[in-house]
Amino acid sequence: MIRSLLRYLKGYVKIRVEGYSAERFLNMCSFHQIYIWGLCPVENTYEMYLDIPGLKKIRPIARKTHTRIHILERHGFSFFLLRYRKRKLFFAGLFFCIVLLKTYSLFIWDIHFEGNRKWPDETLLEFLDTQGVAPSMLKSNVDCPGIVKAIRGEYNDIVWVSASIDGSLLEIRIKENEDTFQDSCAQPDDDHSDTVQDESGQNHSPLQDSEVSGQNNAVDLVAADDGIITDIVTRTGVPQVHKGDEVKAGDILVLGRVDILNDSGEVIGYEYRHSDADIYADTEMEYADSISLTYDEKVYTGKSRHQPYVRVFGWTVSFGTLKAGFEYSDTSTDESRLKLGENFYLPFSLGMRSRREYTLEERTYTREIIQQELSARFALFCGELEEKGVQIRGNSVKIHIGSDSATASGTLYLNQRITREADTEILMIERKEPDESVGTDN
Amino acid sequence: MKCRTYTCYKRRMCGIFMEREQLREKLVSAASMPKDVVLGAAVITVLGRSEVCIENYRGIIEYTDTLVRVQAKDGQIRLTGKRLEIQYYTNDEMKITGVIHGIDFPDGRGQD
Repeated sequence: MIRSLLRYLKGYVKIRVEGYSAERFLNMCSFHQIYIWGLCPVENTYEMYLDIPGLKKIRPIARKTHTRIHILERHGFSFFLLRYRKRKLFFAGLFFCIVLLKTYSLFIWDIHFEGNRKWPDETLLEFLDTQGVAPSMLKSNVDCPGIVKAIRGEYNDIVWVSASIDGSLLEIRIKENEDTFQDSCAQPDDDHSDTVQDESGQNHSPLQDSEVSGQNNAVDLVAADDGIITDIVTRTGVPQVHKGDEVKAGDILVLGRVDILNDSGEVIGYEYRHSDADIYADTEMEYADSISLTYDEKVYTGKSRHQPYVRVFGWTVSFGTLKAGFEYSDTSTDESRLKLGENFYLPFSLGMRSRREYTLEERTYTREIIQQELSARFALFCGELEEKGVQIRGNSVKIHIGSDSATASGTLYLNQRITREADTEILMIERKEPDESVGTDN
Repeated sequence: MKCRTYTCYKRRMCGIFMEREQLREKLVSAASMPKDVVLGAAVITVLGRSEVCIENYRGIIEYTDTLVRVQAKDGQIRLTGKRLEIQYYTNDEMKITGVIHGIDFPDGRGQD
């Protein structure tokens, strides 16, 4: 295939050799490194194919061997150009096509994101648009390091970004910090560095925190839920509860205000801290879920309407209409963008909008299916809780199937972190003036 | 008389030549050297009944659509068949396709 293409581009001819010693002609051709192919005898002559450089070399060989050469066919791109040399418009079109292709290749036609889970493509595209990066911009204006810096600066939870140009495609690979998907109440202390994040978004260690005794940082840890404390590890602050204590929602667990006592045990001042502790407690949670026994199922009637359309530079030209007077219908759009090669995207899209009619038929769940459905939903709920780091100790959830609906209800027994931050109450101490009457001057 | 003398001379020379040739062949075999390189023997690769590749030849002697005669260093190669066509022909290698009936090696010196 590739050899045929190269032959076509270089050009080749089919010749007929006739004369007394045509075999000698063949041998001399091979001796002079002239490549011959498709050699076949026709009556008393030989027909064969030769490339253009070989054709230029055979004249002295033909003279020496007393043979005559007839060119039968000419093939190849050079002969094609020669044959159509008077068709000026064709060459103008070809030239215009090449110029257009070159011009198109100077632009970015698509931006592709990879590795983003939390931030959708649309959000990132909007952000890049504000930075002046958008499809159909000049490739030379794309500043890949600048894009990387801008994305890192804007999104704190994107820990790694790479931007590269591949053909007419701007490819942006992203690595997000997966810790941020966890429950927001959980501290980002997975790497055991004991860092905490304050309101200004700056990270600093508890050691630094303890040095700051300002009232602005004073935070208590209070119970977010009712429960019995099973484990408490306090890093900063004064613990107010012990293991085994029963707490109510809102009770202070760790106090951010540390009393400063004098030698006689009296409070002479307070030092305020940002409390930090891991406190786990056994809690209970009510669970209730219900499903109606009947449901509507879509039954497609087979009637549909199609509307093809062409999108060029953001302009859409549609053919036909989707209006058909359907009572219930699904509308779907299938669009494909034209591209040359793998990554050279063109600003043309072809698409098809389809509308399919359906009717709603009322169906009833069987007892087994509704039990399976409720069990699956409960398992999903438990899975979500476990993903958040909540340990499920047990449950008393039962399924009850009534005449109209089925319900799953009961209590979940959990073990989880129950801390919630709250501002510390700031107390002022009235300083007593020293009694001047009790002097010591003798 | 002259003719008899010439025939004797030819037979004697042929015998000497054959002895030398056999000796060289034995030497090459003993040294495990490739015969196509050292002796210039033709390499013929036959693929089924429709394709033959010949290497190490000197040239074409005769070529029709039923017979191809190729001259090699140590004799002729005669290829018979139907609709024989030379796919390509270079200084090193040629490929013949068609319906192959037979390949034989006539004693070139005796016939020439």
